[in-house]
Amino acid sequence: MSRGSRRPSLLFWLVLPFMAFVTLLPYAWTFATSFKRRSDILSTPPTWIKDPSWFNYESMLFTRGFDLYLLNSVIIGVSSTLLALTVGTLAGYAFSRYKVPAGNHLFFYILATRLGPPIAYALPMYFLFSELGLLNTHLGVSIAHAAFNLVLVVWMMKTFFDEIPVELEEAASIDGCTAAQAFWRISLPLALPGLVTVAMFVFIFSWNEMLFALMLSAGDSNTLPVMIPSLIQHTGTLRGEVAAAAIVQTIPVIVFTFVAQRHLLRGLTFGAVKG
Amino acid sequence: MTRSGAIPIDPSVRRFLWICILPVILFLVLVSLAPLVLALIDSLREMSLAAISRHGKFVGLQNFITVLSADSGLFGALLKTALFVLIVVPIEFALGLLIAMALNREFRSRRLWVTILLLPTMVAPVVVGLIWDFLLMPNYGLFTWVMNNFGWFQGRPVFSQPLSAFAAIAIIDVWEWTPFMMLFMLAGLLGLPREPIEAAEIDGASPWRVFWHIQLPLLRPIMIVALMFRAIDASKVFETIFVLTGGGPGTTTELISIYAYRTAFQNWELGDAAAICLLIGFFSLLAASIFFKLISRQPEKEAMADV
Repeated sequence: MSRGSRRPSLLFWLVLPFMAFVTLLPYAWTFATSFKRRSDILSTPPTWIKDPSWFNYESMLFTRGFDLYLLNSVIIGVSSTLLALTVGTLAGYAFSRYKVPAGNHLFFYILATRLGPPIAYALPMYFLFSELGLLNTHLGVSIAHAAFNLVLVVWMMKTFFDEIPVELEEAASIDGCTAAQAFWRISLPLALPGLVTVAMFVFIFSWNEMLFALMLSAGDSNTLPVMIPSLIQHTGTLRGEVAAAAIVQTIPVIVFTFVAQRHLLRGLTFGAVKG
Repeated sequence: MTRSGAIPIDPSVRRFLWICILPVILFLVLVSLAPLVLALIDSLREMSLAAISRHGKFVGLQNFITVLSADSGLFGALLKTALFVLIVVPIEFALGLLIAMALNREFRSRRLWVTILLLPTMVAPVVVGLIWDFLLMPNYGLFTWVMNNFGWFQGRPVFSQPLSAFAAIAIIDVWEWTPFMMLFMLAGLLGLPREPIEAAEIDGASPWRVFWHIQLPLLRPIMIVALMFRAIDASKVFETIFVLTGGGPGTTTELISIYAYRTAFQNWELGDAAAICLLIGFFSLLAASIFFKLISRQPEKEAMADV
């Protein structure tokens, strides 16, 4: 397993082409559908794009006002991700490194925010947020999304911090590093691949979440997933617009994951301590 | 679970510790504890819209008794959810680990491959449901057309049969969520220390032995947490099923979230729904703690000893 080699392994060629094909097929078909004219979408036998058009995209984004919902999704996705990562990483670090008072109970209790159907939390949260004036605001939905993502961040980051040898920080504290500096300068950079992986999914979960966004926001603060069911109409689902929405919805995530992977896949500097 | 040999605490460290912990506590009070208390109160009240005159009255444990009675459908839904989780999560885990192993080497196009493989996860579950609804649509769906050419499902849609409907839901979940396992396993593999692996390679261990005796045991903690989160999320699957079958045919695909939704927003038994949600939360917490106890009993350092 020489890490310097620039060519994929044999296993790669056995597994990946097939997996990628299976993964891509439904997506590719959606891509094709999004560029079809309405009369070509429902045809037997199914056909590839005959006469490409932007109609579905224009109809979805501008006629139905999805450009606003897209912007809302970006604002809520980014702010809830930052919120969950900040709060959750600090807590995960504390759980990994220190004896937190009642730590085991607290650590397990955090799980409760992700257990059980979201309806259980969404309904009471609706009443609570209306008292606090957080309904129909970006902040309200961001807080709700951060809440159920926080668990993932805390648990995952604790696991990743556990993997980092304590000796590194002890050496640093002997050299005069404060606890905060040891966290910021040593453990956090070493846990970066974990953090990036968690960040990707936290963003994706918030980006795709429907129920909380549906209940806690209305009209101008709605996100994209909330509005997509409006394309299911009595006369039939608008297949073209749904396909276009699916493609538009994935573009920001593709960009984000592609950029974020620079930190995930760079390989680690774990050799610092001789085991 | 607390790490032995944790850093000793002096006052400045204690201040940093509080900075780490206080935000998460505040957060939990606002978004978890408060709603939980409200749900608890609702579960003890008459909230049915059918009994408007007694609306809001405290009825003790009546809602719990209704929900737990044999004919309520709760146990059927729980059983189907357990079956679903036990089918999809191991498959997603095995496939995810396999792909992560295939990608565990540095080469130029890796970012591109990872991004392609992540695509299903990037699509909102509602949209996943709609995409597959289109693929499996009678007469016009791409997959329906392919299967009809083989003589399968001719004249009977996939979602009209109990077995094929359940299988389809499971396959779609595997398609959607294998990337989750893949990425966490990849991050875990990339984070492993190199020394034991290199030492074993120098000693002439085959790649398979290195994987089985060194990488796999070292990967254990992250595997456990990833499995647990996937199991939790799989047990709550809602949007895709809602779009594709709405729980049908009959109640074949009526997993627990769909069941809770139907109770709350089709039968408008909000008190019963609150009781159901609390019970599910309780069962999940129980399952999670049993799973965690069982799996974290093994010594963690065995990998190093094996080398």
